[in-house]
Amino acid sequence: MQSIRNLSGEEFHEMFSVSADWLEKSVAEVNALNVFPVPDGDTGTNMLLTMHSALEEAEDLSSASVSEFIRKMSHGALMGARGNSGVILSQIISGLSNGLANNVTCDGQSMAKAFEQASIAAYKGISNPVEGTILTVIKDVAKAAKAEALNGTNDIIIIMEEAVRAAGESVANTPSLLKVLRDAGVVDAGGQGLYIILDGALRYLKGEAETMQFRKPQIIPSKIPLVQHSITAPETICEDEVPFGYCTNLLLKGQMLEIDKISAKLNKRGESLVVVGDDKTIRIHIHTIDPGWVISYLTTLGTLDNVHIQNMDEQHEDFIEMQKEKSPAGDVSVVSVVAGEGFAEVFSSLGVSHIVKGGQTMNPSTKDLFQAVEKCSADNIIILPNNKNIILAAEQVKKLTKKHLLVVPSKTMPQGISALLAFDYDADFETNHKLMEEALSSVITLEVTQAVRSTQVNGLDIKKKQYISIIDGQIVSADDVLQNSIDKALEQIDVSAFEVVTIYYGKAESQAGAESVSASIIEKYDQLQPEIIKGSQQHYNYIISLE
Amino acid sequence: MVKIVTDTTSDITRDLAQSLGITVVPLTVFFGKQSYLDRVEMSTDTFYERLVGDVFPTTTQPSPGVFAEVYNQLSKETDEILVIVISGKLSGTYQSALNATGMVKKKGVKIEVIDSRNTAMGLGLMVLNAAQKAEAGASLEEVVSLTRANIHRSHPYMYFDTLKYLAKGGRVGKAQGLVGSILSVKPVVTLDDGEVNPIVRVRSKKAGIENLYNLVAQYAGNIEMLAVEHATTPDDADLLIERLADIYPKDQIIRSTVSPVLGTYMGPNVVGAFVLEKDTSP
Repeated sequence: MQSIRNLSGEEFHEMFSVSADWLEKSVAEVNALNVFPVPDGDTGTNMLLTMHSALEEAEDLSSASVSEFIRKMSHGALMGARGNSGVILSQIISGLSNGLANNVTCDGQSMAKAFEQASIAAYKGISNPVEGTILTVIKDVAKAAKAEALNGTNDIIIIMEEAVRAAGESVANTPSLLKVLRDAGVVDAGGQGLYIILDGALRYLKGEAETMQFRKPQIIPSKIPLVQHSITAPETICEDEVPFGYCTNLLLKGQMLEIDKISAKLNKRGESLVVVGDDKTIRIHIHTIDPGWVISYLTTLGTLDNVHIQNMDEQHEDFIEMQKEKSPAGDVSVVSVVAGEGFAEVFSSLGVSHIVKGGQTMNPSTKDLFQAVEKCSADNIIILPNNKNIILAAEQVKKLTKKHLLVVPSKTMPQGISALLAFDYDADFETNHKLMEEALSSVITLEVTQAVRSTQVNGLDIKKKQYISIIDGQIVSADDVLQNSIDKALEQIDVSAFEVVTIYYGKAESQAGAESVSASIIEKYDQLQPEIIKGSQQHYNYIISLE
Repeated sequence: MVKIVTDTTSDITRDLAQSLGITVVPLTVFFGKQSYLDRVEMSTDTFYERLVGDVFPTTTQPSPGVFAEVYNQLSKETDEILVIVISGKLSGTYQSALNATGMVKKKGVKIEVIDSRNTAMGLGLMVLNAAQKAEAGASLEEVVSLTRANIHRSHPYMYFDTLKYLAKGGRVGKAQGLVGSILSVKPVVTLDDGEVNPIVRVRSKKAGIENLYNLVAQYAGNIEMLAVEHATTPDDADLLIERLADIYPKDQIIRSTVSPVLGTYMGPNVVGAFVLEKDTSP
């Protein structure tokens, strides 16, 4: 066994890059450790992307000190933080950076001190820390490492072994600290992610980097057994929510081309797909993040002509620049995270300056939000995260921007819309922030989605594929029939207190379907004024707001 | 005694006008080629019955000739006339009223024309306040100075069920941004310097009426006159009056309906609350 006593800066960086690769192998499993059977913010993905951002930032450094490496990584993590777990991970890295601020190299004693700082930073970053999460895990890691260090141990491998052992136990114990985990029969996903990162670091220190590629990290089972314990990867994955990507245009020429087949195949690869023509010539237009795949596939069918591939992010940048010049520096700009083109139009029409695509399964990073904030012409910015898993990342932007930034903690898109409606053109920044925050409670959000696995939540027996209704984040009903699920959900609230029901139908639904849902609701609650809007959101068949 | 002249968009009821000796000059509303004198040949109720049809009404200001006739008639009994009319940013009435001053036959008649920068009861309350002052024996100068000060003390607040009519009529002002909204959004608007300006955006009438109450309530204890108007929904006016009764004597709240000319821009289901603030200057 190889023993490293003092890590150089480069070794330190390499250690975490091995960790990230280790985590990458289990991203799907970590994502599957989802408390609710809904397509949710993917913890594994978010943590991995945060790690990547941290590592990339420090990539160009050579023969630098540990403190320089970790300081760069800390900045990279802050910029790239996605989702709540990513933000907490970035706090942990920032804590490590504080602990190693004067270290040229890193030994066991320094590592233990750094873990302690990491634990402090992680708790400090969260206004309302919850035990049984990644926070508890880093706390236990810090405690174990400190105890070992106090024994006089300076071997970083032994310190790290203690840390990994403590992390593993802590993760296994998370369900006994947090009821939602207990009910769902899973361990905390963020904690699990941290365990894998530390485990990867330990394996690097032990010189196992070579053999790791043939192995997979261990997913720690819950200490508490559950009757119906089945973890499967979610069926819906984030690839459906394509960002801007490349606008790809071309002519395909061949013999006996099958338009329907081509269209079906391409449909999975991007958005705004247009396939027109006959069996000899077909014009294709698609927004895709992988134009290479599109080209390769089509060359197997015939010859290509007039190929144009344009980076739409750049198009978008140009557009933003133009807009920026046009609009005078307003007093307050609003940045909003929105999923679905329909919702994006609603938010734009209500005066949002900049929309960041994202939502349930694709949490934008702190950097994405930061860039949107910088693009706004105003110096006073309000962010509407519209998702509980994006609020923290939005708060982080305050550390990066020189602009005045306030976050209205909207957890759903209807809440975001209510907040926007409360915006007062004549009021100042702080007053508007207050008005918008107050408006969040004026709306109830009912989201309908299909369960991605069978489970028990809130005393409900949910089977895979059943329609589940979620009211303001709480799963309240499940049924094989969509309308029944909605009806059961509405029975649990005092609908008579509301006047307007807005039904936003998702990608999977149609105007006709929405009209029938609307009619069923109005039949029961005839005081409601219905409005139907095409939300085009992924994953959620319907998002219904009551005001 | 100073005689007060206004136009029909002030929404002053006939009884009230008669009791205070106010002359109300009608604007005109057109359905196609057919014209109707506002409030004279067409009532609010008949107007809204017609509005549901396919023909969008249009409106026009009174001609200078009509004003001249009124001035000449009044100059038989007075030498001092004060004309207070709808905001010049919403109608050309002010121009007509002003042009007509040159057509008065009798020498020595003093006519003052004031752009209220307001309309509906926002204008109505200014007119009523001026008429009361005139009745109490104030001079033209005194009534003019009161009215000029009242321009900044008269606060109209209106809940709009739709901005469709306002946009069609080109009177949308700063509420422009709300017209394109995909979501049906119902604004509560005021007039700022005679121009439509949205204050809040709500999703329901109930929330709109609650906002009207809150907007009025900020002047509680400091209200000279208070009016409530509606277009097609008397129950909403009742509801709002009941709500306002805790900050102002209910029996003194003036109640009216929007004139057909205003209805052309406000559409159905409009509810409004209008405050004339007390003069608190020392």
